[in-house]
Amino acid sequence: MHTVHPSIIIGAYTWDQNRMPPDEFQIRLADLHNAMDEHGWKAMFLYGDAREHSAIAYYTNFVPRVRWAMALMPREGEPRLLASMSSRDMPAMKLMTWIPDVLSGWQWEGAFDPWLARLQGEAPIKVGTVGFDYIQPRLFRSVEKSLGERVRLLEAEGFATADRALRPRELSLVRDACQLVRVAARAMVQAWRGGAGAEAAMLAGERTARGMAAQDVRTLVSLDGGRTLVPFQGNLKVRPESFVGYIAVKVMGFWAELFVTLSAGGGLLHGVQKSMEVLKDAAKPGASAAQLHALAMKTLDSRPLHPVLSGSVGRRIGLSLNEGEELRHHSAHALKAPNVYALHVGTCDAERGALASAMVAVTAKGVELLCSSEDALTA
Amino acid sequence: MARDARLEQTARYLQKEGYEAMVAANNGQNLFLDSNGVFVFSGVRPIGEGAVLIDAAGRSTLVITPAWDLERAAAASRTDATLGCDDLAEGLARALRNAKVDPAKVVTVALNTLDFSTARRIESVLGGPRPAKDGFASHIARVRNERELAASRKATWIAERGYERLLDIARPGMREFELAADLYCCMKALGAEDNFLLLSASQHNLAVRAAGHRVLDVGDIILGEITPCYQGQFAQICRTTVIGEPQPLVREKYAVLQAGMKRGQAAAVPGTRVRDVANAINDVFREAGYGQYCRPPYMRVRGHGLGITSDRPGDITDDSDAVLEEGMVFVMHPNQYIPETGYLMCGEPVVITRSGAESLSARDAEIDFIAV
Repeated sequence: MHTVHPSIIIGAYTWDQNRMPPDEFQIRLADLHNAMDEHGWKAMFLYGDAREHSAIAYYTNFVPRVRWAMALMPREGEPRLLASMSSRDMPAMKLMTWIPDVLSGWQWEGAFDPWLARLQGEAPIKVGTVGFDYIQPRLFRSVEKSLGERVRLLEAEGFATADRALRPRELSLVRDACQLVRVAARAMVQAWRGGAGAEAAMLAGERTARGMAAQDVRTLVSLDGGRTLVPFQGNLKVRPESFVGYIAVKVMGFWAELFVTLSAGGGLLHGVQKSMEVLKDAAKPGASAAQLHALAMKTLDSRPLHPVLSGSVGRRIGLSLNEGEELRHHSAHALKAPNVYALHVGTCDAERGALASAMVAVTAKGVELLCSSEDALTA
Repeated sequence: MARDARLEQTARYLQKEGYEAMVAANNGQNLFLDSNGVFVFSGVRPIGEGAVLIDAAGRSTLVITPAWDLERAAAASRTDATLGCDDLAEGLARALRNAKVDPAKVVTVALNTLDFSTARRIESVLGGPRPAKDGFASHIARVRNERELAASRKATWIAERGYERLLDIARPGMREFELAADLYCCMKALGAEDNFLLLSASQHNLAVRAAGHRVLDVGDIILGEITPCYQGQFAQICRTTVIGEPQPLVREKYAVLQAGMKRGQAAAVPGTRVRDVANAINDVFREAGYGQYCRPPYMRVRGHGLGITSDRPGDITDDSDAVLEEGMVFVMHPNQYIPETGYLMCGEPVVITRSGAESLSARDAEIDFIAV
């Protein structure tokens, strides 16, 4: 889901080598090495910013808390990571990654050019790029200026988020994230049932998640009974007829999320829950995304999909809240194993709305339900 | 017609320069050190990428993503119209058509904050690269208006309550992230929609950083850069707190930071160059024998502007020629690494008045301690 981006990601990001040991990154780096060997690239540059950084986080464990970061990964030699923060901040940045050479990207020529000069070969030296769609034009101009005629950038295909298959260690971390979102959502429900306003209830969930070392927490809540969802407004006492909220938490790099609806009037919630059950049952390896969308919509009995879902009843989720492969009317793909998908169903009318969600791991052995909206309602 | 002084001023600028319209964009990242043109012209903090189109007659349209956020944005926006879309370039094309603006006669602001592909598609909508006036929003909003100053004062009040909470609950055995989580949510409950909160501890700090898993202990010096945002106005206080009775040396060195703050405040009168304020602060450290530490990585800057309205006057550094104006709001912080004590923090949000930089804080920074 789209949520307001914070000025800084404040969660605890220290690299936990017990859960994410260095060998995990050696395994992941094989993707980059294979691509470099196949295409004759001398290096790859991975770019990410505070908003979308799944690729750079996957290969380096580094998360840019503000602005941007770029990992310079050579086929031979030592990598370097540039972060858009002051040199004063670099000791703290080094705690997040296995790459020892972390420099401020603010002194661009001093940090980038000497590393680039180490690349050997006949011009033009070819370098693959990942995530450069997100780069800001002025930084790209600095990159181009440094490269000159000697180095040529080529977009690396096959490194989009949706192309990373989930490994067992990662699935274990996703389960942890799901456990945390479950606990946070229950805190939210408990606060609401205790008489709190909608935003105060959301804040109770956020406080729980952050207090349990969530690396990031994102929320949306309805102040009008589910018809619309909004980011935090500061109206903590507003208590609409129904509670409809969304919470996403990040644990060890992996996201989990839930929609929660309580006491929506009419048959809206019942229809949404029915549709979600159908969707969960149908989510299997090879299931067509378009057919899943059609099934969900059919069960909603011609009610419109809730606008906050932007026409989609699910997508992949992992190091990014949206790893692509959305389940839309015109989607041409099918669910693949091993991957984790977030499923969403919701609808609204002129006065209220309801939303429900679930997360499933689609594996070769079958489908594992990781969490669902109902989890928030149980003690 | 324009309903907002800054929109009216922009319309006059467009007429004078012969442009039909201005497109001010932002990537939705809400960087607290940067100006966000979308917020400056609309008063809306968008969820995703956004833009404001202002024509020479003063008519304005906010274009926001995602489309489902339209109702909230339209209710909050000062623009004449609000348009929701899932693709900023497509939405902007619609807004340009609705306003009957010739894309060839557009000036842009901060398109370069957008990602490469979106910026390129917007250039295509505009029929090619157009003149850029990237500092325009920051310049036009460099002095806070009455509403913004009131919000800055409220943000400062929230920051001080957050710090009081730290003094109440920080204790040995607590992890940094637990303390940060509590403070963050405490300030959110007081109305802070965002918070650039850095909070870390060490027995010899090198700098402040975001909270980690470290367990607090007796003798730790907790550094807090507490920066809540209230109605789009960030305010920052910088605090230093010792767990247990501070060593006399820490008190002695902290007094140098406080003296630097006072010297800086006195120097910061309207018309003064920023470099003179930074030098006034640095002089205090030089006099105390720490002149060689007045550079990174021992410090970063002596203060800075506070987005997302305007980042002016920019970083408070000894090479800045920016000139202070009455009504400017920024944070002044002579934060400094001292070899004998480690990094110490002392800073307040200030507003420039004729008699100097007035602190917005009710209680300026002291070396505080948590009794154990």
